[in-house]
Amino acid sequence: MDSEKHLTLVESLYPTVQRRTQSDRPAITVECDRLLELMQTLRDHAGLRFDLLLTHTAVDYPDENRFELLYLLYSTVHGTRILVATNLERSRPVAPSVCGIWPIAEWQEREAYDLMGILYDEHPDLRRIFLEDDWEGFPLRKDYQDSYMLELPK
Amino acid sequence: MGLVLENLPGLVERFPGGSVAITRLDETINLARSNSLWPLMFGTKCCAIEMLMATGASHHDLARFGAEVARASVRQADLMVIAGAIVKKMAPRMRLLYEQMAEPRYVIATGSCAISGGPFMYNSYTVVRGTDEIIPVDVYVPGCPPRPEAFFWGLLTLQRMIREGETIREPGVRRKPVMSALPDGVSLQEIRREILAALVEENVVDVAKASATKPWARKVREWIQKNTSR
Repeated sequence: MDSEKHLTLVESLYPTVQRRTQSDRPAITVECDRLLELMQTLRDHAGLRFDLLLTHTAVDYPDENRFELLYLLYSTVHGTRILVATNLERSRPVAPSVCGIWPIAEWQEREAYDLMGILYDEHPDLRRIFLEDDWEGFPLRKDYQDSYMLELPK
Repeated sequence: MGLVLENLPGLVERFPGGSVAITRLDETINLARSNSLWPLMFGTKCCAIEMLMATGASHHDLARFGAEVARASVRQADLMVIAGAIVKKMAPRMRLLYEQMAEPRYVIATGSCAISGGPFMYNSYTVVRGTDEIIPVDVYVPGCPPRPEAFFWGLLTLQRMIREGETIREPGVRRKPVMSALPDGVSLQEIRREILAALVEENVVDVAKASATKPWARKVREWIQKNTSR
C-alpha cells in the first residue's frame, strides 16, 4: 500500500496531476511544462525518493496526434514503482530532458530521439545511438516509410 | 592405428610387419577438412543459443562431429554459422569477417531470419532479407530456431559436400554438389503429410481421454457430482 500513499502524496503536492485508472501499476499523467519540476520532487522528496529511472520510452498515437512519453521510476528506499506519463504534440515533439535528475536518462533519451524523433531540451549530447548517423527519418513512428521496406501483401 | 586405416578412403594392403595404403590426396585432405571444422563464435540472435551454445554443450555435444573448437577470431576459423538475423548495420561487418576467413571457408545459415529475413521480411526497416545476398551460403538449416539435431544434419550435409565436392587441384574453386537436405528415404510429401496429421491430432481436444490418466481428474469429477446433486 506504499504506492497508494505515494500517489496521494503526489496528488496533494501537484493538484493538476491525473491518476491513470486503466493501468496495472501506479501511474500518473502530467502536463509537459510541469514534468521537470515533478520529477525533481519525485526524486528528492523524503516521502517519495524515486532514485532510479528504470526505463524511458515513447509511444506514437498518430490518430490522436500525440506522442506519449513514459518514465518508469523505482524507489530503492521504499521498494515501490511509479509510471509517469506526459503527452507531446505530434507536430512539435519537444520535451524537457531529465538528464540532470537521473544521468542514465542521457542514453534512454538518445534512444527515444533515434527511433521516435523526440527532441529534448538541454540534452548534453543528442545524437543517434542505434542507427547510422546519416539515417533519415525515425523508424518507430507509425507513418515511417522507407525505400527498403516491403509492404506486407494483403 | 587400425581405426584410422579402416576409415581411410582408398585401398589398404596388409603386409607382415605393417600396411600400405593407396589413396587419392583429395580424399584424405577432404576427410581431414570435413572432420575438423572450426566454427566462428558469431551469434547475432536467439538461434545462437541453440546453434552455438546448446549444441556445444555436453547434452548434444558438437564434439562428436569434430566441430567443437569455436574460435573467437575469424583468422583461426573456417566455418561461419550465421545464427540469427543480420541487420543492415551488421551486414558490412559480416562481409568483412567472411573475407578475413582463410580458404577453404564454409557458411551455414541457420533459422528463418538468416535464410530469408523470417518474420522481419515485411515492414522492417533494418533486417537483411537473407544472408545469401551478402555472402555465399553452403547449407541452409530451416527452423525458428532449428533443433540441435537439425543443425547436426546440416553439419553432416556440409561434411558430405566437402568430401564429395573439393579438389586441391583447383584451390578456392568448389564444385558444389546439389544435395537434398533430407535424410535418405524421406520425401517432402511424407513430411508434409506427417505434419498435417500431427496438427489435426493436436487440434482435436478430447477432454475425457486427456483427463482419464490424470490423478486430479477423478477429484474434479467427484466435486462436480457432489455439487450438482444438491
